[in-house]
Amino acid sequence: MGLRFAVDTGGTFTDLVVEDGDRPLELHKSPTTLPDPTQGVVDVFGVAAAARGVAVEELLADGELLIHASTRAINAVLTETTARTALLTTEGHEDVLLLREGGREGAFDFSREYPRPFVPRSLTFGVGERVGAGGEVVLALDEAALAGLARRLAELRVEAVAVCLLWSTANPIHELRVGELLAEQLPDVPVTLSHQLNPSIREFRRASSAALDAALKPVMTAYLDTLDGRLRSLGFAGRVLMTTSSGGLLPLDAVAAAPVHTLNSGPAMAPVAGRFYADRDTGADTVVVADTGGTTCDISLVRGGEIPRTREAWLGRRFTGIMTGLPSVEVRSVGAGGGSVAWVDAGGLLHVGPDSAGSDPGPACYGRGGGHATVTDAALVLGYIDPDYFLGSAIALDAAAARAVVRERVGDPLGLEPEEAAAAVLELATENVVSAIEDVTVKQGVDPREAVLVGGGGAAGLNLVAVARRLGCREVLFPETGAALSAAGALLSDLSTDFVSTHHTSSRDFDYDGVNSTLSALEASCDAFIAEVSGEAGSRIEWFAETRYPRQIWELEVPLPSPRFRDGADVEALRQRFHATHERVFAISDPDAPIEVVAWRARAVSRLGSGRGPGSQAGGANGGAPVRRPAYFSGVGVEAAEVFRLDSMRPGEAATGPAIVESPLTTIVVTPGATVECLAAGGLRVVPSDR
Amino acid sequence: MSGPDQKLDGVRLAVLTNRLESIVRKMTNTLFRTARSGVINTARDFSCCIVTGGDELLAAAESIPILIAGGPELVTSYMKEVHPVLRRGDAFLHNSPYHGSSHAADHGVLVPVIDDDGVHRFTLVVKAHVADCGNSIPSSMMPGARDVYEEGALIFPCVRIQQEYAEVGDVMRMCEARIRAPELWRGDLMAMVGAARVGERELLELAEEVGWAELDAYVEEWFAYSEERMVEAIRKLPAGRASAETTHDPFAGVTEGLPIRATVEVDPERAVITVDLRDNPDCLPNGMNLTESTARACALTGVLNGIPDVVPVNAAVFRRVEVLLRENCMLGIPLHPTSCSLATTHPAIRAINVVQRALAELGDGIGMAESGSAIAAGGAAISGFDARRQGERFVGLLFLANSAGAASPFADGWIGASSISAGMMYTDSVEVDEALYPFRVWVNRFIPDSEGAGRFRGSSARHVEWSPVGVPLTAVWMSDGNEYPALGARGGLAGALASQRVRRRSGEIEELPAAGAVVIEPEERLISFSTSGGGYGPPDERDPDRVALDVSDGYVTAEQALAVYRVALDGDGLVDRVRTAELRAGARS
Repeated sequence: MGLRFAVDTGGTFTDLVVEDGDRPLELHKSPTTLPDPTQGVVDVFGVAAAARGVAVEELLADGELLIHASTRAINAVLTETTARTALLTTEGHEDVLLLREGGREGAFDFSREYPRPFVPRSLTFGVGERVGAGGEVVLALDEAALAGLARRLAELRVEAVAVCLLWSTANPIHELRVGELLAEQLPDVPVTLSHQLNPSIREFRRASSAALDAALKPVMTAYLDTLDGRLRSLGFAGRVLMTTSSGGLLPLDAVAAAPVHTLNSGPAMAPVAGRFYADRDTGADTVVVADTGGTTCDISLVRGGEIPRTREAWLGRRFTGIMTGLPSVEVRSVGAGGGSVAWVDAGGLLHVGPDSAGSDPGPACYGRGGGHATVTDAALVLGYIDPDYFLGSAIALDAAAARAVVRERVGDPLGLEPEEAAAAVLELATENVVSAIEDVTVKQGVDPREAVLVGGGGAAGLNLVAVARRLGCREVLFPETGAALSAAGALLSDLSTDFVSTHHTSSRDFDYDGVNSTLSALEASCDAFIAEVSGEAGSRIEWFAETRYPRQIWELEVPLPSPRFRDGADVEALRQRFHATHERVFAISDPDAPIEVVAWRARAVSRLGSGRGPGSQAGGANGGAPVRRPAYFSGVGVEAAEVFRLDSMRPGEAATGPAIVESPLTTIVVTPGATVECLAAGGLRVVPSDR
Repeated sequence: MSGPDQKLDGVRLAVLTNRLESIVRKMTNTLFRTARSGVINTARDFSCCIVTGGDELLAAAESIPILIAGGPELVTSYMKEVHPVLRRGDAFLHNSPYHGSSHAADHGVLVPVIDDDGVHRFTLVVKAHVADCGNSIPSSMMPGARDVYEEGALIFPCVRIQQEYAEVGDVMRMCEARIRAPELWRGDLMAMVGAARVGERELLELAEEVGWAELDAYVEEWFAYSEERMVEAIRKLPAGRASAETTHDPFAGVTEGLPIRATVEVDPERAVITVDLRDNPDCLPNGMNLTESTARACALTGVLNGIPDVVPVNAAVFRRVEVLLRENCMLGIPLHPTSCSLATTHPAIRAINVVQRALAELGDGIGMAESGSAIAAGGAAISGFDARRQGERFVGLLFLANSAGAASPFADGWIGASSISAGMMYTDSVEVDEALYPFRVWVNRFIPDSEGAGRFRGSSARHVEWSPVGVPLTAVWMSDGNEYPALGARGGLAGALASQRVRRRSGEIEELPAAGAVVIEPEERLISFSTSGGGYGPPDERDPDRVALDVSDGYVTAEQALAVYRVALDGDGLVDRVRTAELRAGARS
């Protein structure tokens, strides 16, 4: 059996996980390279090859599968380097992206600018046509005008076109015809039709997803070609898949056809990993994952073994960012990363984030001229981080600079000693994470006290035990692959894609034939996908209904009790599921009311591997007595904390906090009274004390 | 063991503030997602807030200004007056304009939070604009109502609708017998109760965790911090007194433009801003009167909009603003049976406008221009019988036609931000509207050269056209700004005027008045042009590159750029800097 690789290109580092049969997973890191991130991919294989003492070509030739997560798409959007894109709308509705759906933050703050639309008004054009709400053609497509428009698009050197016509989901005839005409007249320009990409009601969301997708096509096609070409030229002959925002995998040709699905491709993998490790190590199926890097802490959730998805993912800030309009794993980012900046406002209120010191100049303790007090500086002042062992001694930290900056920026304004100030910074960062977790869990009807907390990324360990204590979680897990959690998740993922069909019906007057034929059509699409991608470990279809009470307009996704509706009992089963879901999420239900289903969703899932997961990591065993280091804990003061090296802890070895477990990639703070245990596979389990 | 308490104020404050804001967000999310009418579940015309047991507004994340500034305290103190004994499980319905609420169509649900010892700790106030409130015509807003009797709305001066968490059916049955589309109304009210109960549950949990004493201490500290922020903000302003006047269109029986005035005095030494709204007409025999709560809200909103600093929004900040109102004044305290049907919209917008523009008189970088009307004819209240749903009656308020954002000293007008909503409300999805109502939207876009020009410009006016489909529908609208525009501030220009007409089946164009009701047949078309927001600062001080971008984006034509902004563009649409400098120098000499 060949090697399986997962490569996660992040903002700062490119992570590689190598799975070699039953052997422990190998983790490697190399800096992400810009502007050509494929070089970073080649580099990290170089690191892995060197560690194995083989040539890169030899390593790659042994590979049968490579799964890739990348920030390429999101970076292109955020740096405004996507294609010059035009948007075609129904005439009269050209301002669909400008109008958005409204909403704003800060009711009395009028210093902020209204966001420009993703496609400017100068590149948005109306098309003479109209389809009605029932799918009827109200106004025929003006094909002559469209021919003129196509010429105009060529003159404007447009590189991609998105088409979003009103009610194309009810009847796609005009969007399809526009697509045909554009293909004839502008054969080299990629086109995205909104009903094909995102068949859902609400024109703004559909237009936004189509515009993003079209704009990404040239960039991502070039990127995928380069990546594939480099890998092949270095001898890789296996299969390449990419991770998607909804936590699944797609073949490269499918990604090229709809690259918008890779916008959130890295962070979406963290809950996949969290689900696996929590199940393996604790048996829990309700999990909160906190993946904390330099800038943000990304929170995601597993509920009853399922990973919840949202239809309202924003790139950038809510309301002023860009809404993708597509299902995405719900990931909430908060400014509580290692580089997040702590500051005190004029009224004496302490804040942490959202600004980050980044990696250059980085926290003050990096000694590169950074003048901000960051979470990392605070952790250094508190004695949590060993200044001589940060990133395995790759960067020697300046403890004096950290102390000075924490005193100046936080301590003096608040009248606190540096240790107290640093503890306050950590406490507030903890509170920010807690509040994000509460938001995410409550929205999904999950009680965080029932959840296992899983930490990933370099900075999660600084305060995750404190977060768990604050939330009342029973345990915290730091998996052995925590430092590269997303890449590890990619190896555990399934090939999957969603098919949606809008077909409106009510439990009061259920349209059995219409619904069942809709479900049959969805099943055919799923079967075709499964046959095409041919995962080797079986396949399944997951069924959902987008459901609501009459006159509500926001739906809840409810799993179908059965893939077809035979009689009233099946309909009633769905109705009861909806009442329960509504009650769980919103604290009320309306048990006498009928329900309406607006859309039907089928997720085709094709399993790749055995699902057996990676082999054990532990076995370190060269023991070594722990040392002690003074560290400051809120409410306790300075205590001598036991310090362990992660790679020298033996399975079963346990300790009681205050303790610190460190590795070259992460530091885990075990607060006083909490207990930490090294697990068989090499990860850590921490049980927080009550208080 | 939270460390040395007395020294960690900044941390504890931040932590508990996040907790309370998060509770309000949960309430907000619950109401938005579960309500049945478009006014709430699409347009978000509602507010959720936490008020202390002592009747002071504590937290109100993401709520719209007209509903939270100055009003919630009045309703909770009235609740205590009429219900001296409050028990856990109580819920009250309150919409009385004469007892602290806003217009009768804003149904408020009040839930007192009672601790285990029976002490009233907080009140949760959830208030939403319902699609119908039993008025004599199918519109929740009636400019022409002579008094509350003609208006017809059912008035509920804080009546009990739940006891021990179970429904008290009396009032519910009254409403169902009187309100159009009663299932819709009941669904909305349940959503409001649900939101308040979510807040109650969370607050009780929070108290269990930290204790009521800690929460009391927090409230005191948070108010002290907030007030101090407001003191600092006011101390940065120049001392002075300024008045401003604007004019509301004559409608609802009034034959001439209605002058609306405010005088604002800033006293940096005392750190107090005084807003005097007493020099305004007596209450009118129509629906154009504010309530006490909305009059206070207008004064406070105008001040918070107009000071450059952003401060927390709570009762402690309001302590620094003295609002002078008089009884029987249309921008003051109305007496029963005065109609206050438009108390959150038309006169309210003008009142906020005139306060923020008076502040602008005190210096550059202060105040704001005027926003346009929140409602154009395109955003009418529509009603009829839907043939697609077996002739079921529908009533709805469209949120399609808003634009109106006023320019500030720092940014262009925010699209959709009339001064009552601040852009917190949402705009309708055309597809969702067409699924809900038998009508079709033909046009929904912005009009070039319609902005109130300025160094920062107002947001552009919106052009909306729609037709009924299959059945006739009745539209009721009221659009201020047909005769009197939103004025600019400090040399900024006024916004565009609104207008509306119907194209009849015969092709004939029928001009419509600023306010009225009309039956529109299928194939006929309502054509609506909204107002736009006023500009801030002289247009020829606008950054020329922003003008070039406006031209490229189609907000402004090259002709307008030249004539009004005095910016010349070259053939590529870039700024011709030499000619622009000449034009601008010439204009000033």
